[in-house]
Amino acid sequence: MRFTVENSESGRLGCLRDFERSPYTSLETPTSALLAQAGSVVHLTADVLARVFKTPHLLWLPLTSCYQLEAGTKAQGDGIAKFSGLPQHITCATFQNISDNLPTGHFELDKVPLWTKNGKKMITAERYMELMEIFKPDIILAIADGRIALDEGPKRIFKSVERTQKMLDICVEKYKESKALHSSGLVGVIVGAGDLRRLEKSIKYTLKHKENLIGISLNGIGDCSDQILTTPVKRLEDIFRTVAALVPPEMLKILEGCWYPNVIVTAIEHGWDVFDGSLPLKMTNMGYALRLNCDINKPILSVYALDMKLKRYNNTFTPLLKGCECLTCKKHSRAYIHHLLVTKEMLASVLLNIHNLHNFDQLFIKAREHIALKTFHLFKQHIIQQCLMIEPLETSTTNQPVQSQQQQKKFCAKSLNNNTEGS
Amino acid sequence: MASASALQFNVEAECSTTKARTGLMKLPHYNVRTPVFMPVGTQGTMKGLLPEQLEDLDCEIILGNTYHLGNRPGINVLQKAGGLHNFMGWKRALLTDSGGFQMVSLLKLAEITEEGVKFRSPYDNSEIMLTPEKSIEIQNSIGADIIMQLDDVVRTTFQDYDRIKEATERTSRWLDRCLKAHKRPFDQSIFPIVQGLLNKDLRIQSATEHMTKQVNGFAIGGLSGGEAKDDFWPIVTLGTDLLHRDKPRYLMGVGVAIDLVICVALGVDMFDCVFPTRTARFGCALVTRGQLNLKQKQYETDLNPIDKDCNCSTCKTYTRAYLHCVVSVETVACHLISVHNISFQMHLMKTMRDNIKNGTFPQYVKTFMKEVYNDGKYPTWIIKSLLSVGINILEN
Repeated sequence: MRFTVENSESGRLGCLRDFERSPYTSLETPTSALLAQAGSVVHLTADVLARVFKTPHLLWLPLTSCYQLEAGTKAQGDGIAKFSGLPQHITCATFQNISDNLPTGHFELDKVPLWTKNGKKMITAERYMELMEIFKPDIILAIADGRIALDEGPKRIFKSVERTQKMLDICVEKYKESKALHSSGLVGVIVGAGDLRRLEKSIKYTLKHKENLIGISLNGIGDCSDQILTTPVKRLEDIFRTVAALVPPEMLKILEGCWYPNVIVTAIEHGWDVFDGSLPLKMTNMGYALRLNCDINKPILSVYALDMKLKRYNNTFTPLLKGCECLTCKKHSRAYIHHLLVTKEMLASVLLNIHNLHNFDQLFIKAREHIALKTFHLFKQHIIQQCLMIEPLETSTTNQPVQSQQQQKKFCAKSLNNNTEGS
Repeated sequence: MASASALQFNVEAECSTTKARTGLMKLPHYNVRTPVFMPVGTQGTMKGLLPEQLEDLDCEIILGNTYHLGNRPGINVLQKAGGLHNFMGWKRALLTDSGGFQMVSLLKLAEITEEGVKFRSPYDNSEIMLTPEKSIEIQNSIGADIIMQLDDVVRTTFQDYDRIKEATERTSRWLDRCLKAHKRPFDQSIFPIVQGLLNKDLRIQSATEHMTKQVNGFAIGGLSGGEAKDDFWPIVTLGTDLLHRDKPRYLMGVGVAIDLVICVALGVDMFDCVFPTRTARFGCALVTRGQLNLKQKQYETDLNPIDKDCNCSTCKTYTRAYLHCVVSVETVACHLISVHNISFQMHLMKTMRDNIKNGTFPQYVKTFMKEVYNDGKYPTWIIKSLLSVGINILEN
């Protein structure tokens, strides 16, 4: 596979192509992957996914939930995409979802804890690459000790950089040796973002393997979703700038984690190409409908996400988002989705995820259009403005808008407590 | 009272040996081919499946539960939505139960009087009275093609004759009240429910009484509640003997493949059951010989589909090994197995309809039973029930 890119002043347009499994598929970047669990796009069967997206998409496959697929995929021998019933899609494997709120666990030399459905497994780089040879993903993110908070102590950051470097050496070595992986692309994972000096060290070390890597992924910027919510965009922007300055422009840049749209458009501006699709799924699982207004000519009327559990929607027979072309909005009302959420019916998550994935996809389609037209700065402002909006508080006491100050405070307190763990 | 615009039933072919028949039931929202299995979508949704998926599976009519829908979203919302069809985005036919069964299955504190069923709401603990009039009012708001009378439900295994007799006769009195309260006879058909549990005289009394009413079809209730199969089938066959030949007969709560085959042979046209979708949520996939519990270790590397002859999207795309990995972990597992299980039921009914039409139904029944009981050890109730309609499965 190959990544080609055309840099621009603000953001860049790229293309992932020449996949051995599907030579005629190309994926335009910036893009978001579809976050999968155990090989399936969460809540959606293959036949439903085919109704939502007619063209191949990038599937994001954290090992956390794919670990259990090892025996079956190995027996079949055709890789994880085929085994999971989604052979037409492009697969990208990663060690874990850095937004998952999991215990930190204790670390061992050269091993990283993986939280599977059967408990904790300690995984070495050798074992990770052995699994990759079975799963045969199109893109492989190297194993890394990357799920750590920005505010971690210096010792923990140091360890994370060291451990990640050692494991990358092994990954690259195994990758070069492997016949099964000769057509997959390897991505180096950068850590140490909590300390710009360490970050630079991590980048430089990763780039030593440049000829074997198609790109980099930025980790070490969060250890769970709560912490991610409170990181100031300014601080992230400094990190994006540092990475973008050091990583050669022809390399693919990936941002993992459940970031809000304002962070995503900022990362796109600094040249990021691929995101892992955590946000729409998180919204779905919280019972929220995304309603990003991606048309810069349309006035911004409300915050970009609605809590569909709120009683006020029980009598509203309009779609989640007016004018939305998704399967859910063309057929179903807010009242119906509210009813499904209240009665805890599984179709609630199916319909919400169909809509949220569609709406989130629009963000990237429009971002690409604006980059091409050199108007991305306008689009970015348009998106950021929606993230600054706060829903009127009188609507419900339990429904805090996604970025209200109260919630930020709560999460701040939580993440401060979390920082004492695992260091 | 009964209007032809709400339901037209034409028997298109009858088996010359058994009592099986196949026909077309024209309902306001869809023409349903019988015998038909109706999957149960309790709260206005079929357990995680899109309406489009149900159409692809050839579901022509599905069930909603009046009791649940009356609570949530409630009559007002359903009326504002223009009925359950609009609310859930389902264009084909719907049937709603009366809510009476939930009184027995869900509510310990239900008190049944001549007026109706009094119970405490599990949602807000308030006292609610479900009368025949109230049940029909809710069902009129839901707007299903077929609606059910409120019946006085007694557990099938209940023994007290006086109580059974009271319930049977009350059910007939409540039928009159339901028919009187019905506001939409031109686009909704009320089905009376034949009661009497396992007592033949009471069954005859109930059916005879109900057949004096102008209605478009009948249900046989009070079965499939834990009674012995030897007690079950004679009541079914009694019911189909008694009820009008030119009206659809609906056997409530039956949905296991063997029961479906027997009861079609006994002359039943419609069935419903939560079993296929409920068992799917436990990781069990239906096959002719019973079910596969996909959680079992033996499927870990089994690269076959659930059923290699099945045409459903699950069997076309996924292996048992993959399903083994995701059952009880991912929501998609429920959806995938539900798709297969509903497809299994639909395929079974279609096969029976085709065989009735082709005059090969008795042979089909024999082949089916041989596949299920490949050791030839047929339960007595199967031998007897089939013998009663002219099929001797012991001879080839």
